[in-house]
Amino acid sequence: MRVLESRRLLTLILFAAFAWSLSGVDWLGPMVHTGGPQSLLRFIQALFPPELSPAFLKLTLAASFQTLAYSVAAITVAVLVAVPMGLLASGVAARSARTGLPAAVAARFLLGAIRSVHELVWAVLFVYALGLSSATAILALALPYAGILGRIYADLLNDVPEEPLRALRASGASPFQVFLFGRLPMAFPDMLSYSFYRFECAIRSAAILGFVGIPGLGYQIQLSLHDILFDQVWTLLVALVFLVVAVDLWSTRVRRDLVS
Amino acid sequence: MIGRNGKNPQAEGRIPLPQASREDGLGPDPAIVVAEGICKSYPSIRALSPLSFNILPGEKVALVGPSGSGKTTLLYLLAGILQPDEGVLSIDGRPMTSVRPGRELSQLVGLVHQQYDLVPHLSVLHNVLAGRLGQWGLLRSVISLVWPRDRQMAEEALAQMGIGDKVNERTSHLSGGELQRVAIARLMMQSSRIILADEPVSSLDPARAEGLLGLLTDLVRGSDGNDGKTLIASMHSPYLIRKYFSRVIGLREGVLQFDMPSSEMTDEVSDRLYDLEQPEPALWGVGN
Repeated sequence: MRVLESRRLLTLILFAAFAWSLSGVDWLGPMVHTGGPQSLLRFIQALFPPELSPAFLKLTLAASFQTLAYSVAAITVAVLVAVPMGLLASGVAARSARTGLPAAVAARFLLGAIRSVHELVWAVLFVYALGLSSATAILALALPYAGILGRIYADLLNDVPEEPLRALRASGASPFQVFLFGRLPMAFPDMLSYSFYRFECAIRSAAILGFVGIPGLGYQIQLSLHDILFDQVWTLLVALVFLVVAVDLWSTRVRRDLVS
Repeated sequence: MIGRNGKNPQAEGRIPLPQASREDGLGPDPAIVVAEGICKSYPSIRALSPLSFNILPGEKVALVGPSGSGKTTLLYLLAGILQPDEGVLSIDGRPMTSVRPGRELSQLVGLVHQQYDLVPHLSVLHNVLAGRLGQWGLLRSVISLVWPRDRQMAEEALAQMGIGDKVNERTSHLSGGELQRVAIARLMMQSSRIILADEPVSSLDPARAEGLLGLLTDLVRGSDGNDGKTLIASMHSPYLIRKYFSRVIGLREGVLQFDMPSSEMTDEVSDRLYDLEQPEPALWGVGN
């Protein structure tokens, strides 16, 4: 009961602090710079219509394909790395062996390290090392994504209900067989679902890599923004939305087929 | 000491063991389960006081007793999930401590849990085949995930359970009654000599409870002249015990209360075993 009371008190204090902080805002002053409203209007007007010339559409298509290609390659590499790393990190791969726990700790640390650096930072590092190549784009995305996926895979594998596993052990299954016929099938739908979600994120991230000079939708968006060609920016943004929505639809279908 | 005749001197005269003499005159069957003074304690509670009994092949034994009486602990000891603190538990003439977990243990004892504990994401076929895992090597189990081995055996088991048409169904789509049948089919694939069931009917309506016990006892009876298996299940209903079991062992707070043919399991005996007011019978007589 005392915990509950002090928690409520804390909530109250935090609300009061927030309310007080609002008094510090200069509401009448220039929150938006003077040219802001006009710029915003121009940006919105540029949507009607966006740039639809055949030449630019062709360029958009090529850029979309490039972004898609990078994200597909990156998520593939990420999954390939994340599966063994996640297995190690979950500790289910080597429960019997004495090496299981240290391996799990090491794997978790490594996964944590590679995902704590943002893909954009990885990209800058790889641009220095490898130049503006496809390898740079793919590695910069694959590393943090492997870190995230591996961590999630490990948690999902750990969180399956224990009872069916116990029943499998009782019917004489070895630890590996318990994994194969129990843990993996129970965790798999969630692992797949999350991988798809991460694939969507990879498309967005691949586009963002354009800001360090890697070709694709993001690079084209940046070029058009530089020239204040908002109608082109819109065309490119719509293409990006199309890509993400298409992956979403695909993943919904795969998940539905998997469940039925 | 326990003799070759499989009788427990401690309970001699009290336990009318089934007549198990062989017609060839070689004497009675050796017991398949021999418990000699097994006991088990948890940090705060004594789950089983030293307990000795024998069970013969083909017996259908019901364990009765209120919650916390030690039924589940006893089943887990028999399944090899727990080890007794003291005493020796032998199955088929071998101390449990010398039975290797995995393949060896799985051929001796199989356990059905209350909730059946199937893997909902796998097909019915794969859940049934999981009963074979103890017999399968690594490679065979990997291959079986895609191209199932022993498929015909599993189909026969399911057909025998009356759900042959559900082979390729996803297990999560099955009803409660069908899940039970899958769990028993899995147990059939395991083909252990002893079948343990932890409160198999506690969450079922009366008709389904009888259906399940019918399936279990059929499985125990064995087919085409095999001498069958042994069934040990924790139960509550005196009626079901009389109908489906041959022997009943009563436990209360880890202490053996009775061990007798199931025909003697009257409602009165049951009421006395479960009576919450047992220690103070006079309380309700006074006053008013």
